Amino acid sequence: MKKLIIIKYGEMTTKKDNIGLFLRTLKDNITQALVKEEVNIIYDTGRMFLYCNQNNFDKVVEKLQCIFGIHEIIIGYELDDHNQKRIEDALKVMIQNITFNTFKVETKRSNKNYPLKSPEISKRLGGLVLKEKTGTSVDVHHPEVTIHVEIRLEKAYLYIEKRKGLGGYPVGTLGKGLLMLSGGIDSPVAGYLTMKRGVKIEAIYFESPPHTSQEAKNKVQSLAKILKKYQNTCVLHIVNFTEIQESIYKNIPHEYLITIMRRMMYRISERIAKQRKCKIIVNGESIGQVASQTLTSMNAINQVVQIPVIRPLACFDKLEIIKLAEKIGTYQTSILPYEDCCTIFVPEHPIINPEIKKCEEFEKCFPYEELIKEAIEQHEIVHIEKEESIYNDLL
Amino acid sequence: MIYLDYSATTPVSYDVLESYLKATKDFIGNPNSLHSLGVKSKTLMNTAIKQISELFNVLESEITFTSGATESNNMALIGACLANQHKGHHIIVSKLEHPSIYKICEYLEQNGFYISYVNNDEEGLIDFDDLKNKMREDTILVSICAVNSEVGIRQPLKMIRQIIKKENSNTLFHSDMTQAVGKIPVNFHDVDMASITAHKIFGPKGIGLFYKNSRVKIVPLIYGSGKSNELKPGTPAVPLIVSFSKALRLALTDLDKRENFVRRLNEKIVGEFQKLDGIILNQTKYSIPQILNISLKNIRPETLIHALEEYEIYVSTNTACASGELSTSIMAIYNDKKRAMSSIRISLSYITTTDEINRFLSYFKTIYHKLNELTD
Repeated sequence: MKKLIIIKYGEMTTKKDNIGLFLRTLKDNITQALVKEEVNIIYDTGRMFLYCNQNNFDKVVEKLQCIFGIHEIIIGYELDDHNQKRIEDALKVMIQNITFNTFKVETKRSNKNYPLKSPEISKRLGGLVLKEKTGTSVDVHHPEVTIHVEIRLEKAYLYIEKRKGLGGYPVGTLGKGLLMLSGGIDSPVAGYLTMKRGVKIEAIYFESPPHTSQEAKNKVQSLAKILKKYQNTCVLHIVNFTEIQESIYKNIPHEYLITIMRRMMYRISERIAKQRKCKIIVNGESIGQVASQTLTSMNAINQVVQIPVIRPLACFDKLEIIKLAEKIGTYQTSILPYEDCCTIFVPEHPIINPEIKKCEEFEKCFPYEELIKEAIEQHEIVHIEKEESIYNDLL
Repeated sequence: MIYLDYSATTPVSYDVLESYLKATKDFIGNPNSLHSLGVKSKTLMNTAIKQISELFNVLESEITFTSGATESNNMALIGACLANQHKGHHIIVSKLEHPSIYKICEYLEQNGFYISYVNNDEEGLIDFDDLKNKMREDTILVSICAVNSEVGIRQPLKMIRQIIKKENSNTLFHSDMTQAVGKIPVNFHDVDMASITAHKIFGPKGIGLFYKNSRVKIVPLIYGSGKSNELKPGTPAVPLIVSFSKALRLALTDLDKRENFVRRLNEKIVGEFQKLDGIILNQTKYSIPQILNISLKNIRPETLIHALEEYEIYVSTNTACASGELSTSIMAIYNDKKRAMSSIRISLSYITTTDEINRFLSYFKTIYHKLNELTD
């Protein structure tokens, strides 16, 4: 009798033609996430079986709960044969430390040669539970505990405990996207939701030293590190935006500062996305939240790029976003009070209905094309996992 | 050399020392500085603190670094008493504490606090009824160590907490967990405050940790500047914190396996000692295997220790912090002065080898017989 973890896939199984790719990616993602835990993984089209050291169980489950593409995580027992007596013994061990009043036994029998039929097995084992746990009763509709028994060709599985997985598709199965990561509450959540649909995220951050601080940069790195939890690795592009931002401030009417700044950021993001083979840009814009996120503003800003811009939070309320940010663990970091590019040089009355023509006219006032090229050439690429490994060595 | 005094202190592990060196050389900034070097140090320090908080499943803000367990004990006892003197002046401690606790109690007594000493049974376990009886409305603090440093008695902190809180929900519970961490599983949530130190778990000397639940308010003993911690202001010792964090991570892995291994070594020594006349085992069923205490009927413990020393074998009398005095712990358990005057502590670690124990036993027997003949 071996304790093990069984993973169920969910939505992925609808991808008939690509199921192989999905499963391979999921397995790779799991292997990478659990590289320190020494886990042995066996899989088929229905589920995955993970064998690991007993002491690591909690850690492994915790890590699995951060992997997209997993529908359900089951903690159960595997028997090498399906001898009735052994199943009964295993059942006794399994229910030993659990207290409950009502239960049911649910049996699945994929081995149709097994001498007993599913309802018979359930009935017998149910009887055993009633004997072992005095005071309990069977409730087939709303049991506190469901004891699952699966009789397979050569093996049998028993389990009670199930945890919900994150769902979605395995990260990487749908290509790559570039996330505009600002340090605020929204963009990490947008990244998370995009990862959930199987898109691997690289992040881009604009810094304006000395107007923005090292601490602000660290904060974004911390956010990237949290996002990394959901996709094992994370590349962060840090673009020095000082000269562009100062030029905008000097040359552009102040009500257009934000609009032009966003247009510059979009241009840079598109080019870096192409360099890095990212098929989309992702950001945390939410309709109407700030001046640059009115429909007219979005239109004026979006105009400068060809690449699709995905805005997973477009229709979310702020409270919904905060709730999600708390769930994925980015909220506390996001609210650290450091200035970022978007909070310095903010005009008192930013325009909410910018005109595209005016934008184009204003932009002629300074050689932005050169500055953009320079910023892209000199931008810093941080591999979050490598940064982490420096700390891991020390700690 | 055969070192069998791990409960006094441990050598620094190579990996921990490497971390210390690297953090010293590569992270020179003051974590309180604004510039990037400062931020770099702060980031490293915060990562180290986060690791510790995750290891103990507590909040990062609940951790304060001190110079060692003695300082942590001071912070806990004096800090909590000063903060709660409007509620009462009564403190309870066990008779199995580390000497530093008694010294702090002396100070508190001089300043108007009353100390009660809770009894223990003949196995060393805290007498629950006595604790209940001694708990009063004005009891502001109870301090009971998780593992006694001389005989290694392990106390059921969770149960003790339940008794304390049931009798008086305002009473704070502190535990000196110095001898427990890295040997047995500890749970900070069993207590309101806890003290531990790095040098007992193969970490550097000069750093300890004080845990205080965020709900508990105490008065700081040290005042100064620095944003990191209100209880311990000043420039944080980043290399010490980093290497302590690493030592903790290494110390808390494979606890069961390591304890079982040490238990086998302990049993082997006990088996041999039982064959020798004049050795009394000061061990109860609550003793942890890492600490083995014996009393000698016919030989002065100092003599034996120095004789062993000639063969580069190192054990201790009482604890290193109270050498040469009567063992309060053995008195508290056995109420036998002679036994308490003649005790020796052999303390083992998971890095102790079977070969070391074999060699120790053979030297020990030779020396023991020789010294015994002299006393006849």
